[in-house]
Amino acid sequence: MKTSKSSLITGIIIGIAIIIAVAIILRTAMTVDKKTTIGNAFIYDINELTKTDPNLIKYKEINKIKTELQNPTGIATDSNDRIYVSGDKSIKIFDNQGNIESEIKLTDYPKCLAVADDGNIYVGMKEHLEIYNQSGSRIAKWESLGTNALITSVDANKDNVFVADAIGKKVLIYDLSGNQKNSIGKFIIPSPYFDLDVALDGLLWIVNPGPHKLEAYTLDGNMQLSWGETSIGIKGFSGCCNPVSFAILPDGRFVTAEKGVPRVKVYSNTGVFESVVAGAEAFKDTVGVYNPDDTKDTRKALDVAVDSIGRILILDPIEKTVRIFISNKE
Amino acid sequence: MKENKDKLTRRDFIGGAIRGLSLIGLGGLSGLLVSRARATDTVWQIDPYKCIQCGRCADNCVLEISAVKCVHSYDMCGYCRLCTGYFIPEPNALNTSAENQLCPLGAIKRTFVEDPYYEYTIIEELCIGCGKCVKGCFSFGNGSLFLQVRHDRCVNCNECAIAKNCPADAFKRVPANKPYIFKGAEPKS
Repeated sequence: MKTSKSSLITGIIIGIAIIIAVAIILRTAMTVDKKTTIGNAFIYDINELTKTDPNLIKYKEINKIKTELQNPTGIATDSNDRIYVSGDKSIKIFDNQGNIESEIKLTDYPKCLAVADDGNIYVGMKEHLEIYNQSGSRIAKWESLGTNALITSVDANKDNVFVADAIGKKVLIYDLSGNQKNSIGKFIIPSPYFDLDVALDGLLWIVNPGPHKLEAYTLDGNMQLSWGETSIGIKGFSGCCNPVSFAILPDGRFVTAEKGVPRVKVYSNTGVFESVVAGAEAFKDTVGVYNPDDTKDTRKALDVAVDSIGRILILDPIEKTVRIFISNKE
Repeated sequence: MKENKDKLTRRDFIGGAIRGLSLIGLGGLSGLLVSRARATDTVWQIDPYKCIQCGRCADNCVLEISAVKCVHSYDMCGYCRLCTGYFIPEPNALNTSAENQLCPLGAIKRTFVEDPYYEYTIIEELCIGCGKCVKGCFSFGNGSLFLQVRHDRCVNCNECAIAKNCPADAFKRVPANKPYIFKGAEPKS
């Protein structure tokens, strides 16, 4: 009996071991990583689209400034090449080497900014404009454009202030006291990226992102020039809405930044493609993603500015840095 | 006599085995009932903000045609002439020719609204939930196309075959009385 009892126990142990082994094998087989088998026709490989011909890259990165902002939203320079970055509830001011000089605390979340020749800082909040002096004091808060407005760009010269409203799909022109003088639009704005810049000759350049154009207007709203080609190729702009931002170099050439395939390029003053400053390889692939959950700021695309010596400053909202590029020839 | 008490009789063995099996069965039944009760309160859904459009939804579902389909948030859509969810990256023309369409099944209908705006509608019978259009819209547009488990089709498996293989962990249980995760404004019922 003793022998049969020990045989029974041994049998039970062996049986349980077999059941456990089979269960483990089945479980492993069922949880093996099952990739899709639907075939290449159903897979969208965008990696090929993000490769840049290295021969076209004519700029090099020489410096990177940590903004120490959680949500950097806009970049601008002043006549002394100081660098201004808006984000969170502040504006950070750096010297041209990237050393922090000062910080202006704001009461709201800024979307964009510009610095006029007189040093006044124009800050675009969601639906209104605020003006600060160099001491950081607010000297004006303009009337709201209404709750259904989204200011995405601002610029100012000695006589006028220009405000881009992405939801209203129009550009508003004000005198320096905040009296509206004119309105230009309607532009085609599929998502909230709508930039403008005033050239040295006084023409107001506005991105019309739907048709991928940069358009130049007189102050009375007449379009004088336009350029821009729809293409995923390096010479064109692609996606729903590009370029997302631009700046005008001291010699009149254009610097453009795109989302989707994040890249920064230089065009001649007549809109002919010249070179790449930084291709998609230079940016993390999440740049340009529109995140409606981010209630404080929806802009995750690149912003660009230039300084008086032609350096190109890229605000990278994912790295939260200002990246400074100069020509390879320098 | 003492030796007899230690012996395992056939009666004891069978009795013990029956009691053991009964306990296991009772436990299993309770577990099943609890999980069924949970399953009826919740359903599977894709978090569109986690989805990476890998394509696995199309063929990992236990159904022959996946319960996952593309849906469209019209209030987010830009009604673009060049829709990056509809067109291949470099179309030869912005028209409805098959060679210019990104969807291999032609499951998106493009309708002219007014210059330069077009409306895009998912033809659900044709959509297999591969997410190719979603990737185009997400990567280059404003993300108004996204994937959702359609509950007129989903059989609500306890262990969803797609969820198990989702590389982004985008599948989750949501309340059955609120079974969709919308981008943009929630549609009015």
